[in-house]
Amino acid sequence: MQNYTQERQSKETRYFVLVSLAVAGFALITVGLLNLQIVDHSNFLKLAQENRIRLEVMRAPRGAIYDRNGELLADNYPSFNIVFRPLPAESTQRAKLVVDPRWVREVSRLVEEDSTRITDLVLKANRSGQTATLRQNAPFPVLASVEESRSEYPGLEVVIQPLRRYPNGTLAAHLLGYAGEINEKELVERAEQGYQAGDLIGRTGVERTYEEFLRGRDGAEFVVVNAMGRRVSTLSEGPPQRPDPGHDVVMTVDLQVQKAMEEVMAKVGRGAGVAIDPRDGGILAMVSRPAFDPNEFSRGLSFARWSELSSGGANPLLNRAIQGAYPPGSTYKVVIMLAALRSGVVSVASRFASCFGSFRFGGRSFGCWKREGHGSLDFPGALQHSCDVYFYQVGIKLGLQRMEAAALAFGMGDKTGIDLPQERRGLIPSQAWYDKRWGVNGWRKGTLLNLAIGQGELLVTPLQLALMAAEVATEGRPIRPHVVKEVRGAPEFHVSKPVQTGVAADPAVWAAVQHGMELVVESGTGTAARVQDVRVGGKTGTAQNPHGNDHALFVCYAPVDKPRIAMAFVIENSGHGGSIAAPMAGAILRKLFAPDTSSTEVAPVPLPIDTSGVVRGD
Amino acid sequence: MATKWRLPSIDVPMTVSALLLVGIGLSIVFSATTVPGQHEGLWAKQLVWFGFALLAAWLAAAIHYRLYDTFAYVLYGISILLLVAVLGFGTSAMGAKRWLELGPLKFQPSELAKIATVFVLARRFDDRNLDLRRIKDWLPPLFIMLVPFALVAKEPDLGTSLSFPVILIAMYFWAGMPPGHLLLGLSPAVNVALFFVTGSLLWFAAGFGLLLMVVRPKWPTLVLALLINGGVAYAVPHMWDHLHDYQKRRIETFLNPGQDPHGSGYQIIQSKIAIGSGGLVGKGFLRGTQKGLAFLPMRHTDFIYSVVGEELGLIGALTVVILYAVVILRGYRLALRTRNGFASLMAVGLVSALFYHIIVNILMTIGWAPVTGLPLPLLSYGGTALIVNCVQLGLLQNVAIRRQEY
Repeated sequence: MQNYTQERQSKETRYFVLVSLAVAGFALITVGLLNLQIVDHSNFLKLAQENRIRLEVMRAPRGAIYDRNGELLADNYPSFNIVFRPLPAESTQRAKLVVDPRWVREVSRLVEEDSTRITDLVLKANRSGQTATLRQNAPFPVLASVEESRSEYPGLEVVIQPLRRYPNGTLAAHLLGYAGEINEKELVERAEQGYQAGDLIGRTGVERTYEEFLRGRDGAEFVVVNAMGRRVSTLSEGPPQRPDPGHDVVMTVDLQVQKAMEEVMAKVGRGAGVAIDPRDGGILAMVSRPAFDPNEFSRGLSFARWSELSSGGANPLLNRAIQGAYPPGSTYKVVIMLAALRSGVVSVASRFASCFGSFRFGGRSFGCWKREGHGSLDFPGALQHSCDVYFYQVGIKLGLQRMEAAALAFGMGDKTGIDLPQERRGLIPSQAWYDKRWGVNGWRKGTLLNLAIGQGELLVTPLQLALMAAEVATEGRPIRPHVVKEVRGAPEFHVSKPVQTGVAADPAVWAAVQHGMELVVESGTGTAARVQDVRVGGKTGTAQNPHGNDHALFVCYAPVDKPRIAMAFVIENSGHGGSIAAPMAGAILRKLFAPDTSSTEVAPVPLPIDTSGVVRGD
Repeated sequence: MATKWRLPSIDVPMTVSALLLVGIGLSIVFSATTVPGQHEGLWAKQLVWFGFALLAAWLAAAIHYRLYDTFAYVLYGISILLLVAVLGFGTSAMGAKRWLELGPLKFQPSELAKIATVFVLARRFDDRNLDLRRIKDWLPPLFIMLVPFALVAKEPDLGTSLSFPVILIAMYFWAGMPPGHLLLGLSPAVNVALFFVTGSLLWFAAGFGLLLMVVRPKWPTLVLALLINGGVAYAVPHMWDHLHDYQKRRIETFLNPGQDPHGSGYQIIQSKIAIGSGGLVGKGFLRGTQKGLAFLPMRHTDFIYSVVGEELGLIGALTVVILYAVVILRGYRLALRTRNGFASLMAVGLVSALFYHIIVNILMTIGWAPVTGLPLPLLSYGGTALIVNCVQLGLLQNVAIRRQEY
């Protein structure tokens, strides 16, 4: 019983504590109410009567983009919008404006916009209390006349809006991408991330992948305005939030290399070129043709123009360097040679049946690109002259599985992990893939022959080809291709680890492949890429395609003894790799390594050997 | 004599106050939605909801609370499943997934989870041998609270999720946990909070030392408290330093969305102007000016108290506060007077949750609490919220009717 009383007492103490807390809470509210409704009443009443509070957004500048040497690639410039800000609720002016057709007519003349559109916008603004943009990016004469007569038209204002500028126009357009004004849908989707109407958002390229760093955070402040909508002072309630500018991004791109590549590819209709630094995987240049001018998007694009850019066969918005997938043609012989040597099925000195222009297999004749034949060759010689018959025989010995393994090791058939959006994987077909496609016994061993010279269902991106050259240059080290090397003011940013694990092979194997590639440029099919006093390794390719003329391909790296650059070119429907693509690489290499002797003119060169007849590999 | 005692008697002051609050709510919803264009006629819809709410409240009161005791874990399990379902395929609004849609009905499982958690905790704490200084007695309830808390916080709905720890703390206290131990349990949270407010660990260290001297916990408890607080003190600043800028910003906005002047900062200022301009007697019913246009968003839901303050002035605003105070204080009194342990604990849990919602919402409208998206119980427009609040009050009446039973 005593226990019960004790417990009872302690219950009452606890009850007292709970009640005290509740009373304290309600008392706190009372103090707050007294403060607002009695102490500060007159102040708030004044604000309410005229509702003169307005939220003013202070736009945060988007980060700039630089090349590796600090050359500017993208920044912002101010543009001027003419807006209508709804007047305070009780303003008598306001009621008149909404109904007065003369006001609308005059404003419409002033800003040079359609009067029904102006009426709609102003009505909507008055209903919602939100600012309406009457004219975007207004030219100077319009601005001047609006500024002059602003006092006669309350509510009309000029505001600054930053626009994105790409000073080099179409240069590196696919790398940079573009940023445009955020649309309604994105605003809803990204509600939590603090985007405002009128903000820029990255749509493709680096602008998109590095959006989180590039974008700033808009600031805002509450301002007190008079009955005419003019700013009087800043409100003391709620301190202004300073805008937080976006981070500058430094790319691995070298403007000099990029410019050189843009120049040599100036006349290319469709195609792509990639230059990569094999030492760290930094992209030095990337060109895709046809190109677009990202500035067009900043200025606002008509729907018709947009569909023109984004569709059709040309599709200038497509970055063919990472989104175009092509048969690699004879450039693939580098992969085959490495696969054959590292597995030991063929040795460097192996000589097969001599090439007489064609090879019979399974009751079919497989031609060599050189009809009169290459005669008897060793392995490096076969690569040098790109002898198809030799590689057919390597392919039969090698088998599908070993070919596939080597291609995958080089990073083909999968994303390289480059920091650009929507990279394609390409396709390295496997046994399972063929079984699924044609049935378990539905395909013949002849497929191996096609694969050995880079034809068939194989698809690779130009970036994967450049990566292949870089792998040869560095003897198979894992490489992560990337386009951004630094984000200023964000030390936590670092380049991601490579996706692929590298290509495993003995040094002797690499030496043989490198020697073969050097022979190609020295005295084989790729002599157009020769540079005085610099050792260059390369491989030409000419890929058949069912839709028209052959694609010209070329991969290379230089200098062989101390590699600093690896490149790949795919020029669609243009002819032979040796005569179309190799000269482009040559011109760039000469500009970089022997600037005195270089000429920027790139003309197709005749191949050193007769190429008439059936073209298979190259 | 016995018959007179057993007469079923609901708590009259609480009932009258609650009805008055609903009445004020309906009128203010009517006033707040007279602006042409949006939301016209919502008050009539709310009236229909109130009909359902009364029915639900009656049901909640009529069923003997022993049944809630028996089925506490079942209800808790169901509500956890629903919370998981919300994260999976709930309806998003303003960047958060909080609703489950069942045909025309929208339903917030977090509300059910709150009531179910109260049931389970009351069931556990209703035990003669309970000693909340023992780990085996206080640790399981902590986890029972943390599961719905984490699920609701993930939606993300920080405001509602915090009502779970509030319920637990109040019920720990009511079930007899010594205040010193309660403070010790709260210390890691206080630790983090003080670090963010003061930027230094010294403040917490001093207070913690003082607390230890007063409480003098046993060795295992002392070691545990020191370890946890040491870990928190070490980890929080380190983790903070390693976050990306944008991650920090995200956390800051999560903790205090009012900082963002584009969003809720604007609402708070407009709300303060509305209440402040109301003055002593207000601008009169239907005469508020701030509710018009876009100046006072969410005026009929989360910010309904601003309209009360504007139109009915300090007098009206204080009347509402007093009515709430009656509901809350009568609720705690019920907990004291009832003889059944489960019923008493349940009452404290329910009343504390209600109190938390009221305080946080009203403090938000006067700019003294962050904008968390909590509606004001009984006043705000919203069917589910009204039904749930009435069920909570119905449960309290349930206790009132049977307060003489053991």
